[in-house]
Amino acid sequence: MSSTHAPHPSRETGEKQDAGLDLPRATGSRTPPQPPTRSRTLRHPFGGRSNDPTARSQAVAAWILAVPFMAVFLVFTAGPVLASLGMSFTDIRSTDVRNPLSVQFVGLENYTRLLGDELFRKVALNTLLYLLLGVPLTLGVAMAVAVGLNRVTRFKGFFRVGFYLPVVTSIVAVSVVWKYLLRENGGLLNSALELVGLPGQAWLDSTHLALPSLVVMAVWRNFGTMTVIFLAALQSVPTEVLEAAESDGASAWSRFRHVTVPMLRPTILFGAVITGIGYLQFFEEAFVMTSGGPLDSTRSISFYTYDQFGFGNYGLAAAASYLLFLAIVLLTMLQFRLLRSKD
Amino acid sequence: MKTNRTMKTGTKTLAALAIAGLALSACGRDATSAGGEAQSDAIDDSPASGTIEVWAMGAEGEALDEFTQAFEEENPDAEVEVTAIPWDSAHDKIQGAITSGEGPDVTLVGSTWMGEFGAAGGLMPTPEDLVDGDDFFPGAWEGNQVGGTQYGIPWYVETRVLYYRTDLAQQAGWDAAPQDWDELTQFATDLQSKAGAEYGINLQPGQTGSWQTFLPFAWSDGAELANADGTEWSIASDPMKESLQYYSDFFAEGLAQTRVMDAGELESGFTDGRYGSFISGPWHAALIEDAGTDPSEYAVAPIPGPDGPGASFIGGGNLAVLTDAENPDGAWKLVQWLSEPETQKDFYETVGDLPANSTAWDSGALADDEQLAVFGDQLDRAVSPPAVPTWEQVADIIDARVERTAKGVQDVDEAVDEMQSQASSVGTGL
Repeated sequence: MSSTHAPHPSRETGEKQDAGLDLPRATGSRTPPQPPTRSRTLRHPFGGRSNDPTARSQAVAAWILAVPFMAVFLVFTAGPVLASLGMSFTDIRSTDVRNPLSVQFVGLENYTRLLGDELFRKVALNTLLYLLLGVPLTLGVAMAVAVGLNRVTRFKGFFRVGFYLPVVTSIVAVSVVWKYLLRENGGLLNSALELVGLPGQAWLDSTHLALPSLVVMAVWRNFGTMTVIFLAALQSVPTEVLEAAESDGASAWSRFRHVTVPMLRPTILFGAVITGIGYLQFFEEAFVMTSGGPLDSTRSISFYTYDQFGFGNYGLAAAASYLLFLAIVLLTMLQFRLLRSKD
Repeated sequence: MKTNRTMKTGTKTLAALAIAGLALSACGRDATSAGGEAQSDAIDDSPASGTIEVWAMGAEGEALDEFTQAFEEENPDAEVEVTAIPWDSAHDKIQGAITSGEGPDVTLVGSTWMGEFGAAGGLMPTPEDLVDGDDFFPGAWEGNQVGGTQYGIPWYVETRVLYYRTDLAQQAGWDAAPQDWDELTQFATDLQSKAGAEYGINLQPGQTGSWQTFLPFAWSDGAELANADGTEWSIASDPMKESLQYYSDFFAEGLAQTRVMDAGELESGFTDGRYGSFISGPWHAALIEDAGTDPSEYAVAPIPGPDGPGASFIGGGNLAVLTDAENPDGAWKLVQWLSEPETQKDFYETVGDLPANSTAWDSGALADDEQLAVFGDQLDRAVSPPAVPTWEQVADIIDARVERTAKGVQDVDEAVDEMQSQASSVGTGL
């Protein structure tokens, strides 16, 4: 029995460990190490510690080559990011646009004001709900569909396109259709419920149901991406490992649970991070479907920030964006801690 | 090693921020705020000359280029260049023009943006004696005053009135429209009980823009949202509480529905007789007729006040000249021409915009049409919200509380007190 034992899965995943967020790739092939001397000069292109004239001219060349990118990066990326961070410590408003330097530095006041704002606390809680409901559901559905599709042999392309289609359709068009589906009077969902004798619900007009309804729609709209990624990852799981486990008597579920899932760990981490960021920035669905209502029950942090920018409270809106940014960083760190491969 | 490096960058960023912070705090906001600016000097009556660049949105933007040919004929040395811009991006574009100083000479400005752009110093005060303010509807004229200074001129207006099904009203025993609050409640009740309407009236149950339906009741009852110079909010008042109570009672008694409707639902529902009446602006006449309501089956009436015809909300578009206009003289002359009664009448016939100049209503199609006469009458009693930079935000605060009282989750006194405290913490921005 033990003579056909396959190599332990964790060794395979161990190989991928430092790939981090990289998509899963064929196992084994590592890039050969660079010759040590070259790699040292490459590692210190700007160092200039060496007196070697070649190294120095290389450093000069490196700077010259880097300047165009650096300039674009500083002006169009780093500049605005730092400016918005600076803005979050001032009381800048839309009426200050003609004279932006005349604003007052207010320290952390915008941040304390946000934390004290009842509406901000509500939208923060809503955003947390979007995250907690949305991520597991999206990943779960995507995984289930990917596992199913992995076994389908005919019409594979058709199904893949079908599941991916919602991702590329316009949110506005989709929302019109979903609004009809979820309509209280004569909506498809309520009509179907009536057929089986269940009472219809005011899906988008109830403070309890509106947020979950939007999550369901978001899951439908987003799981296609993760399905495609999971499918690619599933196809890289070596069949001999699964066959070995099967001949050891492992059931389908335990093969999935103890062989496939551990091998997909980096992909699941990637999916959790990407979808987590998506749900923390939840906006479009609520914007077009419910306008944040009823009674602010579907308003998210992004929606709140959008409103504040619209009201011209640039300082406060910038502060809200940075709080969201902080939440994303913390969530990502947490996910890395929980989901990284164990040795 | 790694932590060391992050710490170093961290310290550097902090240092950079501290320096930036110091630089900013060194500048500081000076005491002079917008408003209180003197009006510009009067312009002469010589013909306009040079190029006049104009931005306008929507149907106005499309029609204006051809329309201003008459102005060019009167002023042969002047050339009007119209750029049509979409409403969706208009606010940002005008703001960009104000920020950079690169923009048109004249622009159409949505009436609720005046406070923001005026206080930012982007609009030029209206020259002395350019037009006679008494010729315009008072609500529209006041909506151009930011901190006591007049910016621009009202161009066209719109206001909200009561639309109702005349055939259903007759079935319910009403030959005329309700005149006061008690009658309006009775009217809605009768439409429901005697004429089979599912809801006697449709009122906006909160969410964006519901203040436009609710505030007419508050204004009718004598509520004033801000003090005269627009520096402080005065929302909490007995009329405000009384009118919000009156408004929310429609929902509590089931005369109006608390659900926000989808686009088109109101129009088809009105045609089917599901909604007996509703409050909206002039554009709804075409919408309900498109949905199948025969013009003989409905009528419009002024919004009832506590003891007789009440106030309404006045909206519309203003013409403003930017501070950095290259041809301010020509720009004001064009604005003056566009606000003359004859031009306003012609523009009504071209685009269908209701003239802001009330003397344009004295003759022609505007005087003869029965439906338009109701709008004209209502416009005399229509009020514009305070023209202050933070109005949109305070309107949102009001909308949220209107929704809570309409849905019965908050009591009226508490809602009004919250409107006041939230608005006070936002300030007026002046």
